[in-house]
Amino acid sequence: MTDHGDDELSSRTGSPDEEGRVPEERSLLHQSLAVRELIDTEVSYLHVLQLCASDIRSHLQQLPQGDLDVLFSNIDDIIKVNSKLLHDLQETAAREEEQVQLIGNLFLEFQEELEQVYKVYCASYEQALLLVEAYRMEPRLQREIQDTIEAVLPQAGSSGLSFLLVIPLQRITKYPLLLQKILENTLPDASAYPVLQRATSALQDVVTNINEYKRRKEVASKYTKVEHLSLRERLARISMHTLSKKTTRLGQLLKQEAGLVPKTEDKEFDDLEESFHWVSLCVTELKNNVAAYLDNLEAFLRFRPQEYDLDIPGGPVVQYCYLARDLQLQAFPEFKQRLEALVWQPLCSLAKALAGPQNLIKKRLDKLLDFERVEEKLLEVGSMTYEEEAARHMYEALNSLLVAELPQFKQLAMRWLGQILCTFVTLQRDLAKQVLQRAEGSLAQLPHHHISDPAFRKLVEDALGQTSHQLHAFQENFEKVLPPPTTQPLLPGAEHQVQALLSRYGPGKLYQVTSNISGSGTLDLTLPRGHVVALLQDKDTKGNSSRWLVDTGGHRGYVPAGKLELYHVVPREEELRGQARPHRDSQRQTPEPTLASVPSVLAVTQVVAVYPFVARSSHEVSLQAGQQVTVLEAQDKKGNPEWSLVEVNGQRGYVPSSFLARAPGPALWGWSLPS
Amino acid sequence: MSWIPFKIGQPKKQIVPKTVERDFEREYGKLQQLEEQTKRLQKDMKKSTDADLAMSKSAVKISLDLLSNPLCEQDQDFLNMVTALDTAMKRMDAFNQEKVNQIQKTVIEPLKKFGSVFPSLNMAVKRREQALQDYRRLQAKVEKYEEKEKTGPVLAKLHQAREELRPVRDDFEAKNKQLLDEMPRFYNSRLDYFQPSFESLIRAQVVYYSEMHKIFGDLTQQLAQPGRPDEQRERENEARLSELRALSIVADD
Repeated sequence: MTDHGDDELSSRTGSPDEEGRVPEERSLLHQSLAVRELIDTEVSYLHVLQLCASDIRSHLQQLPQGDLDVLFSNIDDIIKVNSKLLHDLQETAAREEEQVQLIGNLFLEFQEELEQVYKVYCASYEQALLLVEAYRMEPRLQREIQDTIEAVLPQAGSSGLSFLLVIPLQRITKYPLLLQKILENTLPDASAYPVLQRATSALQDVVTNINEYKRRKEVASKYTKVEHLSLRERLARISMHTLSKKTTRLGQLLKQEAGLVPKTEDKEFDDLEESFHWVSLCVTELKNNVAAYLDNLEAFLRFRPQEYDLDIPGGPVVQYCYLARDLQLQAFPEFKQRLEALVWQPLCSLAKALAGPQNLIKKRLDKLLDFERVEEKLLEVGSMTYEEEAARHMYEALNSLLVAELPQFKQLAMRWLGQILCTFVTLQRDLAKQVLQRAEGSLAQLPHHHISDPAFRKLVEDALGQTSHQLHAFQENFEKVLPPPTTQPLLPGAEHQVQALLSRYGPGKLYQVTSNISGSGTLDLTLPRGHVVALLQDKDTKGNSSRWLVDTGGHRGYVPAGKLELYHVVPREEELRGQARPHRDSQRQTPEPTLASVPSVLAVTQVVAVYPFVARSSHEVSLQAGQQVTVLEAQDKKGNPEWSLVEVNGQRGYVPSSFLARAPGPALWGWSLPS
Repeated sequence: MSWIPFKIGQPKKQIVPKTVERDFEREYGKLQQLEEQTKRLQKDMKKSTDADLAMSKSAVKISLDLLSNPLCEQDQDFLNMVTALDTAMKRMDAFNQEKVNQIQKTVIEPLKKFGSVFPSLNMAVKRREQALQDYRRLQAKVEKYEEKEKTGPVLAKLHQAREELRPVRDDFEAKNKQLLDEMPRFYNSRLDYFQPSFESLIRAQVVYYSEMHKIFGDLTQQLAQPGRPDEQRERENEARLSELRALSIVADD
């Protein structure tokens, strides 16, 4: 390339014996030659760059765009900067006396830009080379590339792409050398000297910085890559080497903790680490809390009270349904979506960014432990192996990297956090605004919209109190719907039998037959309606639970369960009490007929004579069928229940109990269920 | 009761006119619908308010955790912002609690009360049904005796059966009439009953969101973040991310 050729310039040097003026003249001559070299090389450099960027790159279109980006990196930016530089350099030629000074100033001006633009290019150069190597593996592709290059830049020869891509690197490192050459040929007392000196060292710094930047990037990328290794890969990674590294580190750490070895305290770093840790904590907590908030929001949106139909055609109920639907379909989903995009996503990205520094901090500690051991060894042995040197360098590299960048990280993260929080607040305000806008319409149509809130609250309280009373009234009314009349009258003469069953089995086991039962099988009973029996088993031998085994007091057998109803024997007090009290307890599922016809208890019992009866003595009284009589006592003087003392037509006397039938008396009506 | 032989127990004549029965079914049907809807509405309303409270609590936690981070001691600006945020969240939570209380009092409780009438109603309907069954059965019995040859015992039995029938029939008629009167009245009462609740519901929401608008509006002003369209905010987020990624210590992922 053209760059090589011009290096032969400064071979002529004057001999030290010559007179003073000659070196000076020679210096000036060399100086102007050096200046010209600078400018000429810049021209050809720029020319090559442009050829690369436009002609060569455009002919390599068969390569994917991603590859081209890697290969040529930010060459366009470089061209921009260098074009400007060249232009300004060429302008300095007009001002001959001050040219050198102007050049110095120019480079000082461009220092920053050059560093920015070249460091990017240099950092990605390694990757570009890898890519070039990959292409070399494919003969057809390689040939195409070669042809393209040769067509555009015959001087490139067979070296190909790598030759071209290294040119910017060479150039940036050349600047300090070129400037140095000018400086060497400048008189120390010349006005240009200090400027030039500064410019030279500035460009030297640029090169140093670029190298440092490149090294940091390499170190960082080695450790920050979140690697997804398979188990096999992980196992393959574990070698004796790594194992021994880990154990020595652990040993070192233990020694530190045990105080056997002084910990390298680095307050500055510890503060940075602590600070970073808090930022980390802040971000993680915030992310979790926002996640919880979003979950709750989602849960809230699942419930839709407005979807239930109370069959109310208008008024606030309908207003509410419209409003709630509106909010649920529009306002809230919008809020949620904005939250996710503008708060949740950034938090996730921010949280992910924490991983890199966290890893590096950990690695630094590991390397520090290695380093300390090395130092110990150095004290003992006096030297260290290459590996141990490498450990020290690695630690120092990581340390300086972190010290330089952690504060920046914190600052950037905090700034972003602040923005995210502000966004959160703004979104809440926007949601409120949305809701209010949509509610405006409904609000105006409410019947009491003109009333202030405290007054309205009172109004609602009163209204609800009133309607509550109304509801109570309804409830009472429904409860007053009377229980069915007592199931059926007790057969005459049955009380004795009932008492017997009662005493033998207890009250819970007594059932009354609700309608006539005619038994079919040998074990089935035939019972008239009203008969009371005691339950022995609520299923038959085959497990059929609709067939119950009962005891009539005389016989045992099966009856259909559906024809039985629980029979209650209720003492007198409760009966009378139950008459007056309205039902309060709405929880009872079954109305229990509390009346048990215990005729001996009820003094006032209307009965009907079923059969006619002719009195045969003065103790007895005659009956006509269907006649209403009043039972005074259901047994005779000797306690025999077969006779009852009745009053009929003003006359009193005994009649056979079996001739009487209980009929429900009016005293039963008007009962409510007992509480 | 399938084991009852069909002919026994079913009266010959139709004791309840079809129209009456139909009216009853219709009115009761409407009420059954209403019962279900109010039950489910009450449940949903409760769940909704619970979720609302949970949301507010998690908002408070956001600012609480921020405030307890040591960064607040280091960075005055951060502390100011987080303190202001915390104050706002706590106030909003208080307002939210008030809103929920108001809803509890004026919507959920009344719904519960309304729903508690239904068991009594259902009970009453069951009793009417029972009475109807009894009525039917006794009517059939009377008819049976009426068809028999009129001997003494038959007459006695007929008389007895008629005596039994009368009160049962009266009972049924009474129950039927009572329910036919009360059911529509109860059903219509829902109109007056629910309107205040829902009006209260809307107003409670408006009060809450007005406060929310004011508090967060003020806070937005205070944090000096002017209104920006969402695209701009997204671009800023991208920019912040790129800044972070430019650091070597941040992984390029």
